[in-house]
Amino acid sequence: MQNDLPKRRRAAELSQGDLAEAVGVTRQTINAIERERYDPSLELAFKLTAYFDCAIEDMFDPEELSE
Amino acid sequence: MGSKRSGPALTRRTYRRLVYGIIAVGVIGLLAGIVLDERLLGTVVYLCGAWLGAGIAFLAPWWSDTTLQDERDYDLHNRASGLTMGIATILGISIIPALYVLDAGGYVEISGAIGGAIAVLSALFLLYGVCFAIVQRSA
Repeated sequence: MQNDLPKRRRAAELSQGDLAEAVGVTRQTINAIERERYDPSLELAFKLTAYFDCAIEDMFDPEELSE
Repeated sequence: MGSKRSGPALTRRTYRRLVYGIIAVGVIGLLAGIVLDERLLGTVVYLCGAWLGAGIAFLAPWWSDTTLQDERDYDLHNRASGLTMGIATILGISIIPALYVLDAGGYVEISGAIGGAIAVLSALFLLYGVCFAIVQRSA
């Protein structure tokens, strides 16, 4: 699923490892989400959006799901 | 996922290398035992490696402060399990009934090795069914 996680993470000057540790997953999972190779669970999506203080639909683009 | 205990820091890379390394030593020990005709010793080395590796693989995520496994690992395991069962199902359905019919007709003979493979495949399906029921009940 398309997302702007890389942009938000870089804006916050965080490494993938920093963000992974903050939300309790591995760095590889953050990398996979950023490369759109893995769709996070609802729980992880909420953690990520809570961390960046935004709504899920602001970070993740559901458009391709309705196509 | 995410359960943490206060334990020594263990990186994901070290964790994987440790688990795979110990299991590899066990397998090499078993093969060396066969080659050197020290089968009992090889078996002991293998069992130690297998149990130690499996024990670390299972316990370390609970014990370590570092996130060693997460939802993506479980997702990959789920997909790999599904693919394995899919392949086993296709092979089983497409080959085994035909094999028994041909065996009954005297065209082929199901040898002991093939019979063993069919038994293993059947046991795999049975185990999968039991595990599926357990997971379904606990979900």
